[in-house]
Amino acid sequence: MKKTRKTLVMVATALLLTTLFAGCSKTTSEPKPSTPNDTTNASTSTGSDTTEEKPADVWQLGSSELEFTAYAHYGWLDLPAKMEDVPFWKYLKENKKVNIKTRAAQGNHAQLMTTMMADNDLPDLIYGNRFDPDILRLYEAGKLVPLDDYMEKYPNLKKWLSSKSADLLRFPDGKLYQFPNWYTSQPNGSSGYAVNKKIYKELGSPTLETMDQLYDYLVKVKQKYGSEVIPYEPDRAVDGQGVGLIYTGFKENAYYRSLNGSTLAVVDEANNKLASLFTDPAFHESQKFVSKLYREKLISQDMFTITDRGPVQEKLMSGRVAIFGSSDPMPYASAAHAALSKKDPDAGYFMIWPFHKAGLDKNKIYTGGYDQLGWNVNVITTAAKDPEKIYAFLDYITGPEGMLIQFFGPEGGNWKGLDESGQPIFTEQYNAEEVADIQAANNPVMMAGNTGYIDPAKMKFELSKPPEERNWLARYQESVTWKTHIDQTALASNLTPAPGTELADISTNVLDLFLQTLSASSTAKSDEEVDKILEQAEKDAQALGYNQLLEWRTERWLENKKKLGQ
Amino acid sequence: MSQATANQKSLWQRLWKQIDIQIMVWPGVILIFIFAYIPMYGVLTGFMDYNIFTGARIFENKWVGLKHFQDFFNAPQFGTIMRNTIMISLLKLIIGFPAPIILALMLNEVRHRIFKRVVQSITYLPYFMSWVIIGSIVMSLLSTENGSVNMLLKGIGAIDESINFLSMKEYFWGILVSANVWKDIGFNSIIFMAAIAGVNPSLYEAAEIDGASRFKQMYLITIPTIMPIIIIFMILAMGSLLNAGFEDILILAQNPSLRPVSDVIDTYVYRAGLQNQRYAYGVAVGLFRAVISVMLLTMANYLARKTGNSLW
Repeated sequence: MKKTRKTLVMVATALLLTTLFAGCSKTTSEPKPSTPNDTTNASTSTGSDTTEEKPADVWQLGSSELEFTAYAHYGWLDLPAKMEDVPFWKYLKENKKVNIKTRAAQGNHAQLMTTMMADNDLPDLIYGNRFDPDILRLYEAGKLVPLDDYMEKYPNLKKWLSSKSADLLRFPDGKLYQFPNWYTSQPNGSSGYAVNKKIYKELGSPTLETMDQLYDYLVKVKQKYGSEVIPYEPDRAVDGQGVGLIYTGFKENAYYRSLNGSTLAVVDEANNKLASLFTDPAFHESQKFVSKLYREKLISQDMFTITDRGPVQEKLMSGRVAIFGSSDPMPYASAAHAALSKKDPDAGYFMIWPFHKAGLDKNKIYTGGYDQLGWNVNVITTAAKDPEKIYAFLDYITGPEGMLIQFFGPEGGNWKGLDESGQPIFTEQYNAEEVADIQAANNPVMMAGNTGYIDPAKMKFELSKPPEERNWLARYQESVTWKTHIDQTALASNLTPAPGTELADISTNVLDLFLQTLSASSTAKSDEEVDKILEQAEKDAQALGYNQLLEWRTERWLENKKKLGQ
Repeated sequence: MSQATANQKSLWQRLWKQIDIQIMVWPGVILIFIFAYIPMYGVLTGFMDYNIFTGARIFENKWVGLKHFQDFFNAPQFGTIMRNTIMISLLKLIIGFPAPIILALMLNEVRHRIFKRVVQSITYLPYFMSWVIIGSIVMSLLSTENGSVNMLLKGIGAIDESINFLSMKEYFWGILVSANVWKDIGFNSIIFMAAIAGVNPSLYEAAEIDGASRFKQMYLITIPTIMPIIIIFMILAMGSLLNAGFEDILILAQNPSLRPVSDVIDTYVYRAGLQNQRYAYGVAVGLFRAVISVMLLTMANYLARKTGNSLW
């Protein structure tokens, strides 16, 4: 008995001590000493560097070791824990002495960023969405390193990013802090409609150009296939995607971006301002069209309810969708095309020129937009010991060599040397399958990219083949989607109010209202009801302060246009 | 030696006497203090303009008093959120609370042991599945395209056209509460089953001799015996009355047109506080809910004390 008691006391004491230590380690989490690189110091010191030092002092990637921490600020994307897993990073490690240590958000990016900010424990490089307010918050707290001086020193970003675009990326103090990813001067993107080939043939290959023809076609699909086939499947209707495409078909030069939460406005060209979406006649008309499709069961009935993309992909893969409309149909439609055409060469999907309301010019219908600045940015934080080297690294991977290795593997394999226009010369042993594998393996972590350079390079090979033999994606990008995308740079930049401000509240409330209205009007019981819902939404939005937001956005938009010289 | 020191000494002596028990208690007390009480200073941010970069040095923030609370009361969503929170919680309480008790009483009447075990296992399985899974099961059951519910209703001729259950406001509360009952009923009934098992069998025997029917036995013996447990759980449920749910609503109310019936305090805090990064505001709203919950708990306990079954 006594022995048991003794053991008990010992065990309990051990427990008590462990608890105390656990508690202590938690409570003594003093704020870590901030890194010596204060923003202002960093900028002034490098500023003097550029003026005093000769260009020979430019740091060459690979001339010495480079190690830094990187983090992708996304819930659905983590940089791989082991860089060897990705061919391009493996190449960088082996040939350029770059060693990247990654941090993973594992789905909790908002929390992780909050913790890193509060602990002042930032990674050296953050890769994230350009519109993410966290980037702005980091800037406001003075945690970002300005890049202007480095941009002067290193060749690629300076060459490929126009000074106008760079101006748009600048923060209020006039400095550039963001290294854009997939910046471009020409259309990209893949928004549009994919049509089921087999169903199209079985219905006699009718002309599909106007909205009325679309409607007639969907009716025929329903008559012939009943509930077996979904006539029109809109992707992510809940964010306005597959429904927003239809909107762009009802007005020349309409922006798909008008439905985006960080824009939520239509361009009123006559008055040179941004106006309410709810009063736009084209929006009324397109929502009536959508609700008609809904009432007659010509559009997926679950479009607002089941938001998981799995079921949509399953329907596409089994060929049960007649027309698929999405702001990025290509990954799904091309996978479905590959699967279906393997079994039956006549089956699969093809993309068509966007639908338009009869009477409008089909060449002024844009199902999507492109942004000269891309969508992701890399920022270097003040935690970085040697920000210049990190910049040099980013600059290298967006240059021709970096881009080509990411897309076609190291030089000497699929490509060797550059032609007079700077494009790669493909070798005899060019292996399309290997290239596809390389791209697929590198794809998740293309930290910095240069669309303006790589798209022509990709096309150079594809265009040398007849259309039927071209890669599905390349074929339709070249023939359709690049021609049906409008430059929306002015509308996309800096229209998000800073978090915590009154305008940010208005923006959130109006977005909430918009999402409810979009769903309600898309599923309205009659055309009159659509009008009523939209009119009510306009009243509610005004009560929330929509006009104030529109005025603010107009100001920023005009400023952007001025910077871009539009 | 004064009286007080004598008492003190005896206290220390008493503590020393039970040193092994004390040592077992203290780790728990310390853990709770460190991880549950110390972080509570965080609620102060609800009265501040919180800047995330100050991190743990929260006293560097500016005090703003009740500003965030006023903002919440003046928010355009306030009325909807409060109504939904209260209605959903009440429905969950009224329907979700008695359901496991009824199940336990019913299972108690089943004499076939294997059948009873099977029913128990099946009913408590959903409790261990996450809402993500339950949500997708509910969604596919109610889908318009090939959902079993619509197919069944069509098959028996009750409807001609599929009903889009998950996008209709009038059905949402019903679906939400039913899904909750389905998920939790089996697990929650375990406690009541255990309580029923503790009822003295001689009471039933005596009642049987007196000629009481099975129903009367349940009514006059089983229910009164497990009443204290029912009341304790009722008090606890009152404390979380404003806890209308979070994951279940977030997952089942994907359709934005359901917002007017689905937005509750928790989903609002998540949207306003975390997604829009208004941490201080989120804290204030959460604190408001916590205060009301404590008040409700105290009130429920006070009422229960009159029946002699209170929690404290």
